[in-house]
Order: sequence, then C-alpha cells, then structure tokens
Amino acid sequence: MSGNSLVLPIVLWGRTAPTHCISSLLVMDDLTTIITGCHDGQICIWDMTSDLEISPRAMLFGHTASITCLSKASPCSDKQYIVSASESGEMCLWDVNDGRCIEFTKLACAHTGIQFYQFTVGTQRECRLLCNGHYPEILVVDATSLEVLYSLVSKISPDWISSMSIIHSHRTQGSLLHALLCNTVLCYTILPYIMLCYTMLYNTTIYYAMLYYTILPYIMLYYAIQYYHILSLPADSELLICPPVTRFFYGRREPFHKLLVQGDSAGRLSLWSIPDTSPLQPLSTAVSSTISLQEAFDKLAPLSAGIIDQLSVTPGSEEPIKVTASVYIPSQGRLVCGREDGSIILVPATQTAIVQLLQGEHMLRRGEGGGSGECGSGESVGQGRVWVRGHGSGGVMSQALSLAPLWALQNRVQHCVCSVASDHSVGLLSLRERKCIMLASRHLFPIQVIKWRPCDDYLVVGCSDGSVYVWQMDTDVGVLDVVGFPFVIPCHINSAKRETSSLSTALFSANLTCKYLYEHKMQQLRHKLNKILRLCVSQGNLQKYSNNSLVVQAMKTNLTDPDMHVLFFDVESVIIQLLTEEAQRPNPTLVSPETLQKAQGAADKGGSFLANKIFKQVKETMKETIKEHLLDEDEEEEEEMRRREEKSKSLSLLEYNLTMDTAKLFMSCLHAWGLNGPLDEVCLSRLGMLKPHCPISFGLISRGGHMSLMLPTFKMALATGRKLSLSEIGGKGTYGVSRAVTTQHLLSVISLANTLMGMTNATFVGEHMKKAPVRPPRPGTPETPKKSAAPPQVSSPAVQGQIKQGNYKRIFSLGAVLGEPLMYRAGSKRCEEAAQALLLAELRRIGQSGRKDTIDLWAPYLPQYVDQVSSRKSTPCVCVSFLRLTVCGYTLYNISGLSVTFIFYSQPPSELPFLYLL
Amino acid sequence: YIHRCQASHSEEEFNWLLKEEVHAVLKQLQDILKEASRRFSIPTPGLENLEGFIHLIILTLSPSVPQIQDARNHVNQALQLLSGRDESYHFKTGAEVNKLMDAVMLQLTRARNRLTTPAAMTLPELATSGLMKMFTPPMPGDVMVNFYINLSKLCLTVYQLHAMQPNTTKNFRPSGSSVLHNPGAMFELNNAKFEVSQVHKVECVVPWLNNTLIFFTISLQLCQQLKDKISVFSSFWNYRPF
Repeated sequence: MSGNSLVLPIVLWGRTAPTHCISSLLVMDDLTTIITGCHDGQICIWDMTSDLEISPRAMLFGHTASITCLSKASPCSDKQYIVSASESGEMCLWDVNDGRCIEFTKLACAHTGIQFYQFTVGTQRECRLLCNGHYPEILVVDATSLEVLYSLVSKISPDWISSMSIIHSHRTQGSLLHALLCNTVLCYTILPYIMLCYTMLYNTTIYYAMLYYTILPYIMLYYAIQYYHILSLPADSELLICPPVTRFFYGRREPFHKLLVQGDSAGRLSLWSIPDTSPLQPLSTAVSSTISLQEAFDKLAPLSAGIIDQLSVTPGSEEPIKVTASVYIPSQGRLVCGREDGSIILVPATQTAIVQLLQGEHMLRRGEGGGSGECGSGESVGQGRVWVRGHGSGGVMSQALSLAPLWALQNRVQHCVCSVASDHSVGLLSLRERKCIMLASRHLFPIQVIKWRPCDDYLVVGCSDGSVYVWQMDTDVGVLDVVGFPFVIPCHINSAKRETSSLSTALFSANLTCKYLYEHKMQQLRHKLNKILRLCVSQGNLQKYSNNSLVVQAMKTNLTDPDMHVLFFDVESVIIQLLTEEAQRPNPTLVSPETLQKAQGAADKGGSFLANKIFKQVKETMKETIKEHLLDEDEEEEEEMRRREEKSKSLSLLEYNLTMDTAKLFMSCLHAWGLNGPLDEVCLSRLGMLKPHCPISFGLISRGGHMSLMLPTFKMALATGRKLSLSEIGGKGTYGVSRAVTTQHLLSVISLANTLMGMTNATFVGEHMKKAPVRPPRPGTPETPKKSAAPPQVSSPAVQGQIKQGNYKRIFSLGAVLGEPLMYRAGSKRCEEAAQALLLAELRRIGQSGRKDTIDLWAPYLPQYVDQVSSRKSTPCVCVSFLRLTVCGYTLYNISGLSVTFIFYSQPPSELPFLYLL
Repeated sequence: YIHRCQASHSEEEFNWLLKEEVHAVLKQLQDILKEASRRFSIPTPGLENLEGFIHLIILTLSPSVPQIQDARNHVNQALQLLSGRDESYHFKTGAEVNKLMDAVMLQLTRARNRLTTPAAMTLPELATSGLMKMFTPPMPGDVMVNFYINLSKLCLTVYQLHAMQPNTTKNFRPSGSSVLHNPGAMFELNNAKFEVSQVHKVECVVPWLNNTLIFFTISLQLCQQLKDKISVFSSFWNYRPF
C-alpha cells in the first residue's frame, strides 16, 4: 500500500462514527477550517462556514499514537499546511486542502508543543518550527523538510520545557536565534490545576492569557490586561472520559471572530464566539455552535453504509450488529467478518460492496436484512454464511478482537482461525471440527502481535508491555517464556499500514523471531527484524500481478469501535488482470491479440520497449495464471501450499467473475455521474454500470502509508436540508473535493476505460457475468424496473464488443475532456497545442459546444498543477509504477484502429503525472 | 428472572468497583510511585556506605545522564495524572478509568524503557554531548567518557582515542550509532579523524535502580488488572456502554 502505485481507497464507514477523543486543537488563520487531533492518532478536518456552522470533512491516518500538538506550518493562505506531532515522536506535515502527507519524520522523543516562526533573511522568507517536548531543549526544525536544524539548550539546569511563547518585537528583526534569546519566555513549571497559555498577535498590542482550571469549570480570558472575560462552562451534558481541550483563537481577517473552541472526548466540537464589547463582565455561555462526529453521521440520509449492513440489521432492531473483527482473503475475494454477537460471516467482498454503494436490482435487499445472517445456504448477492457461532470456550472468551487465518500449518491446524479474547488469551478455532483446539492463556497484558512459524508449529505472542511468549501449537505448552524484556516486535499492528502480503511477512518475521530468541541476541534481532520486514514490504510491492486488484482492509480508530472497511483498488493490478483474462479467452476473433501484436510491432520499430515489456509481463502472468487456474499465488510459498490451495479451491463457490465485478464496482464509483445525461444512460443500460446511492467517501494515499479518508459528511455543507441531486452525488460531489483526488480519479477512469475498450466482453451485463449464480428473484418481490428497461441483449459478442468499445470511448473522452484544462495549465506550449489539436479530433463525437459546456461547468473543480511541492526527500514519481509503462515515458495503445500515445510527465516530483494525448 | 437478578447484582458490583476499588488501587499506585520517585531525589544525609555514594554520583550526574531525568519526569507526570483524581472524584464510567489507566501506563512504560534501553549514540554525538562538557578541568583531547544506565547497572565507558594521520593509507569508515563502540571504530570531528584505540568499561550494580524497575513493573500490572476488572463487566453486559 505504498504511495508509489495508483491505489484508490473507498471507505465504508458504517453508522457509528469513529471514536475521536480530542487531544489537541487548531483553528486555521482564515477561520474556515478546524483541525483536531485525537488520542488514537487520527486527525480530523472540520469545515467551518462564516456563520460558524461546522461539519467534519476528512480524517487523516498515519500517526501511531496520541496526537500531542498541532500547528500551522505555512505562512500564507494559498498553501495551507499543518504539522502534527504524536506521543511516539512522529511528526507529519499535511496539506489541509486534500489531506496529503507532504513530509514525515520520527524522532526518539515526543513533542508537546510546536510553534510556527517566520523570518526573512535578505529577501528570502524562512519558516521554522520551534518544538518543545520530552527533552531538555528547544528543537528548531525546518518547516518544509522537517529536518532538525539546531537546538537551543539552557546552560543552567536544563530540564523538559513545558511551554514556550514567542513574543514578537519590532525592534529585534535579527536572526531567529537572537529573537529567541531575547524574546522567549520559558516556563519550566506548570501548576497542576491551571493551564496557562498565552500568545501575542502580530502588530497589535492585544494579547491574551487563558487560565483554564481543570477542576473548576471556569475559563478566564485576559485581553491586553485591561479587560477580561470569565466563562463558566456548562456542566457535562454527556459523560466524558477525560478533560476536554480548550483553546482560544483570534481571526486575523474577515470576519474577525474571536473564538473559544473546545473539543472533548466524545468527538464534540463546541464554539463560543466572544464579542468585543463586554469588558469586565462574565460572559453568557450560550454555545455558538456545537456538533459531534456521531451527530453529523446521524444527520445523513441515507445513513452511511457499513460493509455487511444488509446482513446485520436484525428485524427487531434499528441498529446493525457491529462487526468487531474482519479478514479479507484476496485469493477468493471474500471477507470474513466476526460480529459482536460472536458469529462469523463470510461474504463475497465486491458484491457486498456493490450492494452498499450502488443502486441496482439488489436495492430491495439493502437495509432490510437478509434474515439476520443465519442464512447458511445461499451465496447470492448480499448473503453470507455463518461459520462459527458462539466460539467462547467456557464463557471466558467473549470478544474476538482479531482474526487471522492460519495457512500452511500442520494438518489439524490448517483450517484454523486464530482469535484473541479480552482476557488476553489466544485460541485456535478449527473451522472443520468447529471447536477450539488450542488455548494459550496466562498473558498478563493485552496481546499486540501474533506470529507463527509453520515448520515447528510455534506461536509467538507479543504483549503490550513488551513481553514475548512462545507457544508450541500442538501441545498447548508454553515452551519458552521470555517475560519482561523490553522490546516489542517492530511490526506495527496498526492496520492502516498492514501489508497485503501479511502472510509472507509473518512467516519471515516469525522465523526470525524464533531463531533469534533461542540465541538471545536481542540487539541483532531488532536490526534483522527491521531489515527483513522492510524486505518483505518491498516484496509485497513487487507482487503486482497477483490477484490484489481489490483489497479490503478493516480498520478501527479505537479498539472498542466496530470495524470500518476500506476498499483499496489497485488500478494497475485491475488492468493487468483484465488484460490477462482477455488474453486467455480462447475466441480467435478477439481484439486483444491484435492489440498485443500491434504493440509488439510498435516495439520493433524501436519506439517503445515498454509495450514489449507489458506484453511479456502479460504473457508471463498468463502462463502462471493458466497453471494456477486463475488462483492467485505467492511465489515464495511452498509447493505443498499450492496443492492445498488448489484442493481448497474445489471447495470454494467462487464462480462469478471476480475481476469484472471489481472493475464494475470501480468504474461505477468513479464515473462522473450527472454531467452528461445521455452518457449516463448508456453507462447504465449498455455497460451495466450502477449509480451510487450517496456520495462515495474516497481517500488519498500519500507518502509513507499516510492516508486521508473522506468522512461521509463531507458534503454536509452542500446538502442543507434538501436531497442531493445525482450530479452532486456523482460528478461534482467527488470530483470537487480536492485536486490530488481528482487527478487520481481521472487517471484511473481514463486508463481503465481504455483497457476495457480493448476487450471483447467488457460490458458488465451479459453472459459472462452470469457465471455467477444469479439470485433467483424473490417470490413476491416485484421485478425491478431496471430490468424491464434494459435494452435487448446483443447476442453476438462481436457486435456487443463494438458497441461497448464506442461507449467506453465516450467515457474515455469525458475523462480526457476533464483532463484537458489540466494540460492548458501544465506548461509546454508545443505539447499543449498538439494535445489540443488531437483532442479536438478525438472528441468530434461529443461536439464542440458540448465539450465547451463541460469544461465551463467543470472549471472550478479542476486541479491546478502549477504549484510545486517542495520536498527534499526524493519521491518515487508516480508514473514509474503507473501501468508499469516506465522507462522512456510513453507507450502505444491501440484504440479501435486509432493509435494513441500516452506520455507521462512527472516534473514536480511528488505530483501525479500529467497525461497527454498525442 | 435470574438474568435480571444477575444484571442488578453486577450493576451494584460495578458501582462498588468505581466508587471504592478504583480509588483503593489508585491510592496503592500513588504510594508505589511516590516511593519510586523518592529514589530519584537527593538522599538524606548519612552517606557512609558505598551505595549511598553511588546514589549521589548518579543524581549529580543526572542532568548529564538524561535517562534518569526523563524517567523522573515520566514518573512525575504519572503521579500528576493520578493526583488529579483523588478520593473526592467520582468516576462515572469504566471508560473514564480505562483512559486514565492508559495515560498512566504510557508514562510508566516510557519511564521503564528509558532506564532499560540506553540511547545509541555515534561517537561525534558523544563528543559534543553534555557529558563531555561537565568536567572541570576539561578532559584531555584523546579521552572520551560515556555514562549510561542499563537496567539496574550504571555503566561507565572510557574511550582512548588516537588521531589518524590526514594522509593515512588506512581507509576511513565512520562507525554508526551504538551503545558501546569497539576498538577500531573511526569518526570525524571538526575535520580531524580519530580512531578508538582502547575501550574500558566499568559496570556497577545499583540496587535502588533495580527496585525502581520492580516498582514500575508492579504498577503496570496493577493498572492492567484494574482495566481487566472493568472489562469483565463490559463483557458481562454484552457491549452495553459501560
């Protein structure tokens, strides 16, 4: 899941808002955005209107521990950067507009306070971050690269610095160091019950001091010493689990609000607008505005979908049964969900996602509950199977916190699911025998990591206090107890970063753990493990062509939360798989062999050996795939595993076309609905795409596994009381969000549409999709109108193919049109002209006026590509991995006789490539 | 009926836990941590034995051995968290207790890890650190000293350096960061190249450090047990908000 391939996340948040126990607060200077950091390490971005309405927009993932402080990190408003620091010493620079992580770093010690400082050297503006924290100095950090430049140490009794303030003075315009030495007040102590923070504003004599009594519910504000407010805060309306965070912010431009902002443990933000003209008197405590994450979620209509809501809403109750743990099996495309009532459900992942996200014939099933998940027979859309029910052993294990399938083990252990209970015991539950075959208890602290070594049947359990237990699996005996030595296996359990190839990773590290535990070489162990993990991660990235076009990752912000699910679409992998399957099709009248041949021909001309490369790769994959019968294989896995998996395949009921389903889901989510009426109609009826129910929450993966996910409420400001129109749900809704997201979407749509254009059976309606057992229409349920409206099926695959080729071409064109203004802004005159000319030719179908309208309509939403991202560490440019078309930067595609060249530029190093048509 | 009866009993039990038991545990924790923190402060007069002498040495060194200072600060932060919730405070939810315990445990784990894992430093870092600057008169140029704490041991490492000739044929490879550098390790400082010729290491077991570590472990277990007690109720009520 690294940032160098085009992977698009789509989130299914479910009805329960993630836990957001606010630990730090920041209001941006222009008072349109509030940033909150929470104890679990997430950062939430809230939009604020000028009349102080707030709605949550996105959540940023990447920190592994509690957020200790937030600060702005850019001087002006055109680039809104913030920096965040966590308890574990991580520091992260984010772009507030699209939630991209621009830079990150990790130090040994945690920062507890960061201040932004700007000064000029000659004509150059320099930005610094001054950090204090769990170290006896002030670190001066460069605001763009996050490098520590130098530190300021007190000569006299250096100790941790709890607070610091910069006082700006007009007289000292010297260097930063000078300013600091003269004008900084260091507070070494802090009274236990009073929190004091003060700041001074630019060019004004106003400064404020805030006293916040943690015991008394009062807040006192001093302004310029002349007048003050005392605010008595309301008694806790809901039960809080820790003291709230309160900060005062002063708007520096219109509308000049003075805001007191409070964030509490329930994810609630409250604002008090403080009037200017009330000196020396207690202020009324009427809250100007307040909202919690959960309230925002509850306001949505339709409610935000969870991944198996259709199975989890029991007839009696409103609320779905919560999913407490889940695991995705990529080779089968299935999701295993453990629920809070102890049942485990197996569902086909793409299908359940289609049910939740898209409108279609399955609509009737949505939310009405397919028999509370008791269904044991059907594998049709939206149904799952209950595997193990109530697996508590003697009532001890009541909470399955995590599930991990164990493959490649001894016969008996082979069909086991590993579960962790709330009493810190590990159980191996056999799916075959339907009972618990091993119980490893006696752990004193919560379990963080479980690894296993297949050849010796060892289970290694790492606990949160750093102790490690090694269990022998068949005998139930802890063979080696190494308690209380201070290291934690350096594999973060943080699910956001977990690799898809977790099995091989696990094998490797478990191997090593065992080996080195015996030798007791702890120091080396840590190094080795780190190295191997890195190796595994990179290998995981290399396994491009296995069946990982869709990965479903369960995430939770807090352990007590139900799971939410993120679908990761690997565009490149979808395309490779589509091509592979296309090439395998025995029909001789296919377009694709031609395409491939032509591609090869082009390669002979010496223009592109990329095409050759991709051809080779496809061929290789083909061979492999034929051998493995479409089953994904790990290259490192042993031969016997293969046999086993092949055996298990015969048990599986996987008959629908996984790849096409994935592509369908993906295209339906990405298509810009509502912009071009006729095209939408074509997409629905001919191509079998489906419209989304509600705005889809996309995400953006940036460097180092950092991720931003849109909250389902991101359109709240837009939908004030009325129903969203289709174009708002689709096109405008998702495309208007941020520049980086829009670029990724356009690229994905264009490339995928392009691939589908070259395929024969690339429509999502028709015979080949029906390999899937079609759900028989329920007796009594009316036939869906969609079905009756569907056009007569074209029987001949060739004709059908042509029709759909034309249609994909139109989607492709739409994408290209949307992408065009991007080229206007991009730079090179010649390329621009060429692109323009060719686009005009290519888009004759749509017509000049139609095209112009589209562009006009879209202009405000389109990305700007002129801004440079200054980032000192080199970024792998995205185009390198994108489609694997690397090296000389372009390749030839054959689109129904018309040859199109893609050129990939990646001039600003961390921006996405520009796409040109020549 | 039985189920209802059980539910009401367990509710009473849970209230007792929040009202009485939690405060009892917090009191116990505070006592242990105060005892631990007392050891970080200057001892009372009566330094007749060697142990007291070493104690004093460590504490006078403590600004230079950042491990002690950090551990002390972490313990004090944990104590501060605990003192904010004295007997008069009534805990309303189990989640509240859990949150407090998490915060305390975080500080305690940090404190323990600080004492158990000495920082790995490169030789130039060591040369410029506060340790080298605290000697009056300053150390001779060819000697470097490192003090650190490893579990319950105070370690003193002395490196004997020798300056490398600028035009030496020996290829220069700077060594990385490590707790203990071996003879032959090379580094560059102020444009001069040095090689470690000899390493002397002295260790001394400090009993009170050992006790402090035990206190940390006991406190951590107490915290975890309190959390487990609360989780028993949560599982009994089958995910009702507790």
